[in-house]
Amino acid sequence: MLRKYIHSKTTLAFLFTALVCLQSFAQDWDIPANKKSKNSYFPFTKETIEDGEGLFLKNCQSCHGNLGKDNSLKSLKPTPPDLAGAKTQERTDGDLFYIITTGRLIMPSFKTIIAEEDRWDLVSYIRSLNKKYIQVLSKNDPSKSKLVVVKMSFDSLSYKLRVDVKANEKEGVIALKDAEVFLFAERYFGRLQIDSTHHTNNDGVAFFSFPKDLPGDKNGNINLVVTVGDEVYGEIEAAKSLKIGVPTDKPSLTEKRAIWNTVTKAPIWLMLTYTLILLGVGAFLLYIVFSLMKIKKLGKE
Amino acid sequence: MSEQNEQPKKKSRRDFIQQIGILGVGSAIAGSAVWAGINYDKKKKAGDRIKVLTAENELLEIDKNDTTKIKKSKYDNLTLLQKEGRVGIPGKRWVMVVDLSKCKNARKCMSACQHAHHLRPEQHHINVLKMQESKNTPPFYMAKPCQHCDNPPCVAVCPVDATYKRPDGIVLIDNERCIGCRFCIAACPYSARVFHWTTPLNEEEDKDKVYNVELNVPQRKGTVSKCLFSADRLREGKMPYCVSACPNGVYYFGDENEDAVTNGTTKETVRFQKLLADNAGYRLMPELGTNPRVYYLPPKNKSYPFQEGDKSEAEEHLDNNNG
Repeated sequence: MLRKYIHSKTTLAFLFTALVCLQSFAQDWDIPANKKSKNSYFPFTKETIEDGEGLFLKNCQSCHGNLGKDNSLKSLKPTPPDLAGAKTQERTDGDLFYIITTGRLIMPSFKTIIAEEDRWDLVSYIRSLNKKYIQVLSKNDPSKSKLVVVKMSFDSLSYKLRVDVKANEKEGVIALKDAEVFLFAERYFGRLQIDSTHHTNNDGVAFFSFPKDLPGDKNGNINLVVTVGDEVYGEIEAAKSLKIGVPTDKPSLTEKRAIWNTVTKAPIWLMLTYTLILLGVGAFLLYIVFSLMKIKKLGKE
Repeated sequence: MSEQNEQPKKKSRRDFIQQIGILGVGSAIAGSAVWAGINYDKKKKAGDRIKVLTAENELLEIDKNDTTKIKKSKYDNLTLLQKEGRVGIPGKRWVMVVDLSKCKNARKCMSACQHAHHLRPEQHHINVLKMQESKNTPPFYMAKPCQHCDNPPCVAVCPVDATYKRPDGIVLIDNERCIGCRFCIAACPYSARVFHWTTPLNEEEDKDKVYNVELNVPQRKGTVSKCLFSADRLREGKMPYCVSACPNGVYYFGDENEDAVTNGTTKETVRFQKLLADNAGYRLMPELGTNPRVYYLPPKNKSYPFQEGDKSEAEEHLDNNNG
């Protein structure tokens, strides 16, 4: 019995290791079915392709090369494919959107860098050389995202931020269930994600535990951004400034007296020594002049 | 005599004429004075009035004597860019984190930097070095920009206030002030500075450009140039040239006051202190007390092997280091 138990345990362990190995060696993307079937809610036009091209040159071209030129950066591993190639073009729009959004291995995630609409523009540009491509439009109504109201409130006792996501439909207020919610704090070069990604509960509420040591501005204000991703309502973004950070007002780095600082901020000992030496030399010179005058006077007598 | 004095004084004709005379001369003098005054005013209108341009771009004519000279401060002669370059961006303390485990010696940081600052291929504001610290430790690639020390030895030795530290932590050099003495090059323990021995690259094209102290362009022959943490880009909210150019996610850049650094490749923002704590971050030559603003994460689990061809170059350091 025991032996059998041990045996099954080792088999399980072996299977698990094999699975992990397979996962890490797997060259392909693991895209959830509901993301695969996602489509753009606006048709791809000349304008969207042009917008997409601008974004492509800025964010993708350095690794993937130009479309159809097969000049991607071959030194990288795994090698980034030419995005006009068959392998990429066989994918669904949802696949491409997911890949751009999440990234994998050396491919960065553009979730917080490129807005949702712009990511669809990128997909439209990637499709632009494919003559066989026929676009499938999303059945979702993009104007629905405007109905959503995101509320943020902070509980200073538990140090938790409560996010309420509700939609004002004609039938009344509906709570968004199981929507993906991200919380970010604005920093100088980008957004810092706070806590992990949460999903709203049945009341459309998600709680984020907030760090107690995150610096804010002089008064402790932090600009917070919440992004919500929902199947029906699309992507919604809301921002709010809350006074929940550590007030930070550090002095400038040239404040202290130092030998490398400007003349007015030189160290006291340096200023004192310098002045004393100057006075000393001056006094000595005066003493010489005075003595010479004395000698001259003596000579006259 | 006494009799004459006792007589009551009678107005004689002589006295009368005398008085009239005084009155006449007096009024003539007064008249000419008034005349001269009017004349003076007229003259003033022509010559002693000057045209001035107000701050609101209004052209006015005022009396020359009514003007007061504003006392010039030390920096008034410098261009706006130079003044801006001395002040920096308030409330910031820039930091850079270099993750050595991710460096694949792509050298994109170097070319982006040289392109931005108009440097020759052999001049480096940032350089990817091939390092080996002792015989039994493995070699690794190490990107090395200016460390922007909080206690900069280079600034202390500058005799003309050309190189300076800014309130936001960046150490800059003003090529318009630099006299080319190279004291700073001798003082820097990180060999972060370069000297323009020959005419700089693109000198002809840059001739008419306004000198930007936050970019060191146009470069000047006979002066020192160094890494500037791309101060001109930071002003626009963008990350330095080298950081954005890296294809391998080596660099993080951010503000220490915000406790956040952003990766130049993935654009992911992380907590600065946590990144250092989790990865055993360190600084170069801490024993010198220079307090650099550039932090390194050790080359642990390198994603790219050190190339055979680079090994001999890395070993060159060993002899000086007693193996």
